Amino acid sequence: MTPKLPAYAGLAALALLAALATRRPELVVVAAPFALAAALGLLLARTPSVDAEIELGAERTLEGDELDLRVTLVADAGAERVEVLLELPRELLVVDGENPVQLRLADGESRELAFRVRCTRWGGYRIGRIYLRTHDWFGLFRHEAVLDRRLPLKVYPSEENVRDLLQPLETQVFSGNHVARQKGEGIEFADLRPFVPGDRIRHVNWRASARRGELWINEHHAERNADVVILLDSFAEARRGDRSTLDPALRAAGTLAARYLRQKDRVGFVTFGGILNWLLPSTGAVQLYRIVDAMLDTAIILSFAWRDIRTVPRRTLPPQALVLALTPLLDDRSEAALLDLRGRGFDLVVIEISPLSLLPAPRGEAGVLADRLWRLRREAMRGRFERAGIPVAIWGDETSLAVALEEVSTYRRRARAVSV
Amino acid sequence: MVASDRLSVIPLGVGVAGCALMALALVSRWRSVFPVGIIGVGASYAVYLGVQNGAVDGAAPAVAAALFAASELGFWSLERSPSRSEATVLLRRVGALAGGALVTALVGSLVLVLTTGASGGVGLEAAGVAAAVLAIAAIARLASRPSV
Repeated sequence: MTPKLPAYAGLAALALLAALATRRPELVVVAAPFALAAALGLLLARTPSVDAEIELGAERTLEGDELDLRVTLVADAGAERVEVLLELPRELLVVDGENPVQLRLADGESRELAFRVRCTRWGGYRIGRIYLRTHDWFGLFRHEAVLDRRLPLKVYPSEENVRDLLQPLETQVFSGNHVARQKGEGIEFADLRPFVPGDRIRHVNWRASARRGELWINEHHAERNADVVILLDSFAEARRGDRSTLDPALRAAGTLAARYLRQKDRVGFVTFGGILNWLLPSTGAVQLYRIVDAMLDTAIILSFAWRDIRTVPRRTLPPQALVLALTPLLDDRSEAALLDLRGRGFDLVVIEISPLSLLPAPRGEAGVLADRLWRLRREAMRGRFERAGIPVAIWGDETSLAVALEEVSTYRRRARAVSV
Repeated sequence: MVASDRLSVIPLGVGVAGCALMALALVSRWRSVFPVGIIGVGASYAVYLGVQNGAVDGAAPAVAAALFAASELGFWSLERSPSRSEATVLLRRVGALAGGALVTALVGSLVLVLTTGASGGVGLEAAGVAAAVLAIAAIARLASRPSV
């Protein structure tokens, strides 16, 4: 019942009493519409019965993409006005369609409401809680209902543009797309050696053999796959409004996982932070879905517990794996863990997700000083990484992931040249 | 003449107070005050009739229709619904409001014709008392219902 009903009944009663007291029929006329509205409203009052179903255009979509949603309303007992609100998370913006909307539903009528939403941020959502509010003809009675018809929707992070991937220093035993150091069956030329019984004729280098008067054989580098572990630092994040260092980190993780899996590598995923999650390295499209689903569960959980690399199961970090660490370098525990990893002989690369663009401008002399100290501390941290032989690439707003990866490749090439 | 002028100020004052209350309720979205404002405006009309103390006011149906339309519009604006109405719903609602005002005017005219034609008496008095009692009973019944 809305406040309108007692108000109208009260008005009618007062006017009628006044009419009696003053013996003026005009007041009966004034009372009449209110009394009639209240009486008719009471007579025609009934409980509406409206059901709703929701249909999603897709169960999985990419960040930034648009998605169609359809809400079907079926009224066994309709109402003059039905307000429909489809509850949507903040990250889904309605670009087409009215939400909430007020419509009329006659008895037995079925209506379809179409919405188009833009998925502005990655994440796992459940969509389909529908709020219904019905009003009768006179607006005297109101019924509210919540229908839970939620369906899962997974919004995956969008991909970054990457041309060349980092080549792992070591390869594994299975065939893949990386040129291994070891010699074996492959395409890439490695060396020449004299013929020995058992060598295949098609490996004979006829030009070298003609020049030397004996048979020489071409040797090739084997083509192998590699183990790649993407280590996501989830100890801390820098956040400003809707922007966070976690978002580019996840986009990079998704892109790198997809690209490495496409070239037959085994890819593992570790979320190293307040909550530790891991996926053992594996190959194929299924693994990509596993990784992306694990990424959707990633959240920054504040924790003060000390956590080092020993907490990560051994099988998650296979020997000779290339470990790509995506970190904003905001927590000492991640720094210690990365140095520990390098100390254990892993081929480690740090991609620093720069939090600088998310920081407010320092205010006052003390603020400027604190900002300088903080930046110096970060520089010192990068210095420690470089001294340990860990390449660090900074990925910020000004650069792309491709540039950051290219920096690392250049660093590794130079480091190899120096060590040779 | 002077006394009559003074008396005519009373309904004006009551009406202005009623309108001010309605305006306050609409501006501050104070729902419970709005009916009080309507009562104020209605009371001003009652006082005006008392002051006039003359023949039946022929404008009563128009006053009733205006008061009804004003209260409907006021309650509409107090609904605070964020949802956008479809054109059909909006048209039907506006049509219902206009129809309600028209019916009020017509029924009011009919009531006036009937009451001015009747010579009064115990029967009419009894009908009036019964209507008032019924209205109060309806209020009591409504008050006992849980609100949504």
